[in-house]
Amino acid sequence: MIKKIRIATQGLFLLTFLWLFLQTESKGADELGYPVKIFLDADPLIFITTILSSHAWYNTFFLAILVIAVTIIMGRVFCGWVCPLGTLNNIVGTLKKRRPPRTPLNWHWLKYCLLIFLITMSLFSLQFTGVFDPISLLIRSLSLSVYPSISYATRAVFDMFYNLNIPVLGSISEFIYTLFKKLWLPFQQPFFLQSVFLGLLFFIILGLNLLEKRFWCKYLCPLGALLGLLSRYSFLTRQASEGCNSCGACTFDCQGNASPDKKENWHNTECLVCMNCDDLCPQNAVRFGFLKKTQSAASPVASIDLGKRRVLGMILSGLVAVPLVRITGINKQAGASEPKLIRPPGSLDEKQFLTRCVKCGECMKVCITNGLQPTFLEAGIEGVWSPVLIPRIGYCEYRCTLCGQVCPTGAIKKLDLQEKEKIKIGLAMIDKGRCLPYAHSTPCIVCQEVCPTPKKAIWLEKAKVMKRNGSELNLNQPHVDLELCIGCGLCESKCPILGQPAIYVTSIGETRSRENQLLL
Amino acid sequence: MNRRDFLKTTVIAGTAFALPGTSSLFIKTLEAAEKSDIVAAHGLSPAVITKAAIDGLGGIKSFISRGDIVVVKPNIGWDRLPAYAATTNPEVVSAVITLCYEAGAKQVKVFDHSVVDPRRCYKQSGISDAAAAAGGIVSYIDDRKFREVKLAGVALKSWPLYTEAIEADKFINIPIAKTHGLSTLTLGMKNLMGIMGSSRGRIHQSINGSLVDLAMAVKPALIILDAVRILTANGPQGGDLADVRQLNTVIAGRDQVAVDAFGATLFGLKGTNLGYVVAGHKAGLGTMDIARLKIKKINV
Repeated sequence: MIKKIRIATQGLFLLTFLWLFLQTESKGADELGYPVKIFLDADPLIFITTILSSHAWYNTFFLAILVIAVTIIMGRVFCGWVCPLGTLNNIVGTLKKRRPPRTPLNWHWLKYCLLIFLITMSLFSLQFTGVFDPISLLIRSLSLSVYPSISYATRAVFDMFYNLNIPVLGSISEFIYTLFKKLWLPFQQPFFLQSVFLGLLFFIILGLNLLEKRFWCKYLCPLGALLGLLSRYSFLTRQASEGCNSCGACTFDCQGNASPDKKENWHNTECLVCMNCDDLCPQNAVRFGFLKKTQSAASPVASIDLGKRRVLGMILSGLVAVPLVRITGINKQAGASEPKLIRPPGSLDEKQFLTRCVKCGECMKVCITNGLQPTFLEAGIEGVWSPVLIPRIGYCEYRCTLCGQVCPTGAIKKLDLQEKEKIKIGLAMIDKGRCLPYAHSTPCIVCQEVCPTPKKAIWLEKAKVMKRNGSELNLNQPHVDLELCIGCGLCESKCPILGQPAIYVTSIGETRSRENQLLL
Repeated sequence: MNRRDFLKTTVIAGTAFALPGTSSLFIKTLEAAEKSDIVAAHGLSPAVITKAAIDGLGGIKSFISRGDIVVVKPNIGWDRLPAYAATTNPEVVSAVITLCYEAGAKQVKVFDHSVVDPRRCYKQSGISDAAAAAGGIVSYIDDRKFREVKLAGVALKSWPLYTEAIEADKFINIPIAKTHGLSTLTLGMKNLMGIMGSSRGRIHQSINGSLVDLAMAVKPALIILDAVRILTANGPQGGDLADVRQLNTVIAGRDQVAVDAFGATLFGLKGTNLGYVVAGHKAGLGTMDIARLKIKKINV
């Protein structure tokens, strides 16, 4: 019975999560209209590490604190009942044959090590949590890899029927396709760098369930570790009554390997409160309840013993990691940043940006032109999978502010339209060696035509050029007004010199940087 | 018998059969005979002047027949609100759609190949909502529906064009009058670029010839030039209300070259200032000699 309620609850949260994921897409209005980042808001690990690393409070913390409070009272219900990645692990886990042939690994300590490592780094301003945080990881993997692949495959099937052009079948397939487009397909096929890599990582994590169910949740998840620590003294406890004959029936279905057969020595911090043991017990001897703690002080609740060496080791590793990743040459370039590192509009100054960005991929998912892509090493290891605008893939839409709306930690500020229209994310410059009117005596004004600023940042100079046959030609040669250019990259993305455009944007002049400036 | 004569006689004959009573028949015949080449209607309501301009040409029924599949092609190229005059006035669009249905059109389709994100263009221009409210079938461009079309042109030999546009029974072009960096102004013929696929940026290397080639292939039944607001600088995208002028005018015509030549006068220019108008005139697409045309100006 409890199991059914739990599964229904998990399903409900997973569906809510997926539905909000689908809503993280523009419909043409200025706002999305749904609280799409609510699961990230509710993530205490992101909440705590962001506060530690950025030394700044941020405003959407109610849900995270609620989760902390609930965990203190009821234990890891978030893991067992709410977490969408946990639920996916559950689902994949059902594919595993029952009755494991060998004893579980019991590497529970591993996730605590990871947690200590991440928190130590965040104490010293290095925000690396997003790489491992389950919600971040899930949204990133779905956004950049899983959802685009599913969309690609679906479109390929419908395109096949479309091109076959069989009368009745064709219209049926188009009808279904239209329906799918309304319900769940993305507006346009998304393309992302590193999609294979990110997808593989995600499928490995899911695949680990075949080794051991909920492998990730038990041994790797740093959020699980944090909630485990918080649930150390939770009020909701498990009681095995006199009736328990230690038959061990409960151990196989314990989602956290929390040793439920050991009665009082059950591992409180590993319990996901799935209550399978309660359901299963042939003696009906197990109960969960807010009961008085039996011998709580006397016999210590069996807990994870990391050992001093591991704790110390991880703290030291965290300490060493901070300078190690910061001495990358990227941080010592002329000017302040990598020229191709064009950050989304409203991004904080690079240093602060990195203390906040949790690489969840929400901004990339919502980016209306698909231009926001995950970095690899352009921003150092510290900035891996943070957003970078690649105008050749997609420019920054002039009147769009969605990336700032979905950013969970304020790494990208939420801007209103007037602010957005003023913010420079870089500057465009012309490559006269490739530009048609300059190098090839051929008229072209596409960059000027598309330039979105009210007074165009690209202006045309009337020029007289010579053709090969000696005849003169009047045409317009474009110039960039560096005061007006906002670096949106629309010119670069529409430049007819495909591949390597004759006008391109670099990060110089970006509003967020004090140093990376050009004009006096 | 050319197309225009054919239409004239059809209308006259149609009204003769349809209308009882000789007096009304007489009036109708007179009106039809005096039918103008270009009508510029001026007034405060975009919908009313749109209807007046079309009526001045002989009414929507002289363009749309019962059962027609009609494509209405406004300019939805940019992510701008209607007040910025970068996209066609939504009320003009919905008025045309309503008229088409009144004339018995089976379907009225509305689309444009937007330059920037289509979702924002369709929504922010107000056209998507207005057209849908008038019963128009609004759709985004579907990349699969471009088909390589042979153009017997001087600049373009062939180009991928949107099948729904070229296969429609009637094509109505509803541009807005704006400035443009290369072609000086963007009016009717330039608006046809919205049915082109592929990398349209290349067109600009030979814009005048390309536009004529395209206009020859598409041949709109009717052109409604929206000059309710016009954009006088920083076109075609605009963004500054100071560049917008409110003219409260809608111009209707059948001749693509003539409409654009007349449109140029809104900006104090002549048809001869526009390369594609001159090229179209020479190629026999239409006439830019508007002094010879019957131009009717109406105040509503």
